[in-house]
Amino acid sequence: MNIKISALMLGVMYLGVPFFLGDNDYLIGLVASALIIAGVAVAWALLGNLGGMVSFGHAAFFGVGAYTSAVLTMDYGVPVFVALVVGGVGASLSSIFMMPALRLRGPYFALAILAYAEIFKILATEATGLTGGAGGLLSIPSLPVFAGVDFGTKLGGYIVILNIVTLMLITYYFIRRSSYGLALKAMHDSELATRIVGVPATYLKVVMLLVSAFMTGAVGAFNAHYINFLEPDYAFSGTWTVFPIVAAIFGGYRTLSGPVLGALFIYLVDQLVFKNLIPQGHQLILGVMLAGMIILSPSGLLPVITNLFTRKKADNKRGEAQHA
Amino acid sequence: MELTAQAIFTGLLMGGFYGLVAVGLALVFGTMKVINLAHGELVLLAAYIAYAVESQTGINPLLAMPIAMAVVIAASLITFYLTNKIKKDRELNSLILTFGLGIVLTNGLLMVFSADIYSTQSAWFMEGLVIADSLFSMRSEMLAFVVGLCALGGLYWWLNHTWHGRAIRSVSSNRDAAKLMGMNPTKAELWSWAIAGVLAALAGVMLYVTSVIHPPIGHSLTIKAFIITVLAGMGSIPGVLVGALMIGVIEGLTTTFFQSSLSELASMTVFLLVLLVMPSGLFGKKAGH
Amino acid sequence: MLKVENLSVNFGGVRALQDVSFEVQTHEVLGLVGPNGAGKTTSFNVLSGTVRPTAGSVTYEGHDILKSSMHQRVTFGIGRTFQIPQPMHELSVRENLIVAQRFGRPDGKVKQERIDEILESVNLLHKAEADAATELALTERKALEVAKALATEPTLLMLDEVLAGLETTSKKLFMQTLKNIREKYSLSMIVIEHDIETIMNMCDRVVVFNFGKVIADGDPEETFRNPEVVRSYTGEVPA
Repeated sequence: MNIKISALMLGVMYLGVPFFLGDNDYLIGLVASALIIAGVAVAWALLGNLGGMVSFGHAAFFGVGAYTSAVLTMDYGVPVFVALVVGGVGASLSSIFMMPALRLRGPYFALAILAYAEIFKILATEATGLTGGAGGLLSIPSLPVFAGVDFGTKLGGYIVILNIVTLMLITYYFIRRSSYGLALKAMHDSELATRIVGVPATYLKVVMLLVSAFMTGAVGAFNAHYINFLEPDYAFSGTWTVFPIVAAIFGGYRTLSGPVLGALFIYLVDQLVFKNLIPQGHQLILGVMLAGMIILSPSGLLPVITNLFTRKKADNKRGEAQHA
Repeated sequence: MELTAQAIFTGLLMGGFYGLVAVGLALVFGTMKVINLAHGELVLLAAYIAYAVESQTGINPLLAMPIAMAVVIAASLITFYLTNKIKKDRELNSLILTFGLGIVLTNGLLMVFSADIYSTQSAWFMEGLVIADSLFSMRSEMLAFVVGLCALGGLYWWLNHTWHGRAIRSVSSNRDAAKLMGMNPTKAELWSWAIAGVLAALAGVMLYVTSVIHPPIGHSLTIKAFIITVLAGMGSIPGVLVGALMIGVIEGLTTTFFQSSLSELASMTVFLLVLLVMPSGLFGKKAGH
Repeated sequence: MLKVENLSVNFGGVRALQDVSFEVQTHEVLGLVGPNGAGKTTSFNVLSGTVRPTAGSVTYEGHDILKSSMHQRVTFGIGRTFQIPQPMHELSVRENLIVAQRFGRPDGKVKQERIDEILESVNLLHKAEADAATELALTERKALEVAKALATEPTLLMLDEVLAGLETTSKKLFMQTLKNIREKYSLSMIVIEHDIETIMNMCDRVVVFNFGKVIADGDPEETFRNPEVVRSYTGEVPA
């Protein structure tokens, strides 16, 4: 079921969106920005769903990825597409500083990560030599022309971020299916049972944190080259934590496509509707959605919708469902 | 030497205020094991009410206290009501819920009051005080410190000497035992949220008269409050005071000898170190599970 | 192959184990007996790594296992069950064994035939796709507990009261299953059981615990004639 929704969604994103919106730079830009949120939301959900960790600090990975890639391309002439990957690696490396927090239980981990994110933000503002300080970095190189296609355009950028998100979803899918995924799933409610058969629980959590940080960093790096400008308050902004959390919770953070659909919906509604209605403070709606979802349906909207959908077919599909 | 003494003195005054900010969060955390990530925003809400009253009527912002209390207690109880609606995995989900409520409050304030920076117009608060011939403070800083100490002391007394207070203490130490002894845990939790509202209102008005306010401050206050709560360990009031004074002094010293932008870095680092080395806090008993 | 020397464990002032030593030889079945709270399960916990001892040493086939983490010990070949079965939640019975194979075997390979063989040997094959945490009866949960440990392909299997709570017929069947498994995979075993008949039936040797100390060690029949052992069973405090 989930896979079908993901495939349908990707089909629409790859064919429908460029076909209908391809010549409207404003709209395609909006969808691309929504996909940036979606990328972080998927990374956040991977850590939450598989690793069982709620993070309030993904802005740190986003910022580190963005600055790593920007500095490498500007000061060392590294090609942009290579720098995107290295941006992810940089974010993974920065997550190593957070590893001690893995010893902490749920809420304490969340708070510790929040503190780490604040520390990263302060450090970025203070390390003026590297990050340009509060003044920021201007004219970060755009995405290049590659194989005859100019990825520096709005549509080109859209294709690149769509590919990044798709790769992330595929990775997520395979991790979840693998024995790692099984062990992680079992760890939620029965950690002792998994450890006693030889599962290195902490190591698996470390891997999930590294993967999630890498994904977030790569998306942050993409964003830097997409908008060509960075300053610490922007790159490490709490927005990069808030939007993805709302998107993932809203869409359903235990599903594959939920965070992406959530991000598209939340971001587009915010930009197209609420921003016009309430020029200042339109993120109020995000808070309302987040609080509402946690109370009414903590597992998100997508599972609710798919449940309604599958219940009708439940009788003749029961056999199949057990294998899915 | 004089510089150090002044830095420590300013830090201690600041710490008294931080204690006032943190203690409401610590109280709720103690009774309900819920960390209210909207607590700083509740404090800020009270500060904006003080601003609104002062700018509309021109009276002393301290007189706004009754309105601030009424509004913030109401907001605190709404948060309690919503938190209570969470059935599954409350410890983590309440974190996300109150995080969301914090976003609502911050943006609500932004919507109504814009992103402008406000501070009190009353010059009385800004006047200097000199203590022991050499230590300098503003009147408002001393006032916030004294209010903070009195509130913490009062709360400590209330928890130990009144029936409601004892109920809260017994619920926080052992919910099931308290139930068996005929106490209603929900009632005790309600009381603790209401008191947290009172404390947030006090802190908010003090914030307005000592400092400048704008919407993002709420989030920083929340972070400071949970840092202090974690330093203190499970809802211990004396722990909150010591933790708050410690954070105040660390920030005072960093600001004096390095720069103010690093003060937050210093307190955050101390927080992480304590969290990683002593997860139950500086003054906490070992967590019982 | 397993050598436990001078093991002591303190729980906040309570001495759960005092200077405990015993050995297990290759292909031997050792029974741990003694009243509740005597230190049998605590010994298991030390061996499997859920409890850290205050003193003593444990070597298993040359490895100083007290220095190893819980999951390393599994790959060394030490498998255990819990008295209260610990299925991995949200997974099917088969998936439970897949995880155990993947992480318990030193080479991390998952062999489906081996999993089927194990499930067959504990009579769980027909329940392979059932949800491990919610869809099993007590005997089946106990069987899964053993199957999970077997899937890590241990050389030493520690069984904590796997027969307790079963009614007589299933107990007999299950005991036979355990004996077959032991032959098939040529395992060494440490068994905690209260039932003397079971111990006599299964064990080559017994170690008797009382108040955290080893009070006897030897052939089952002889040991149960030892007056001190009998006294500990009738609940008298030793002089």
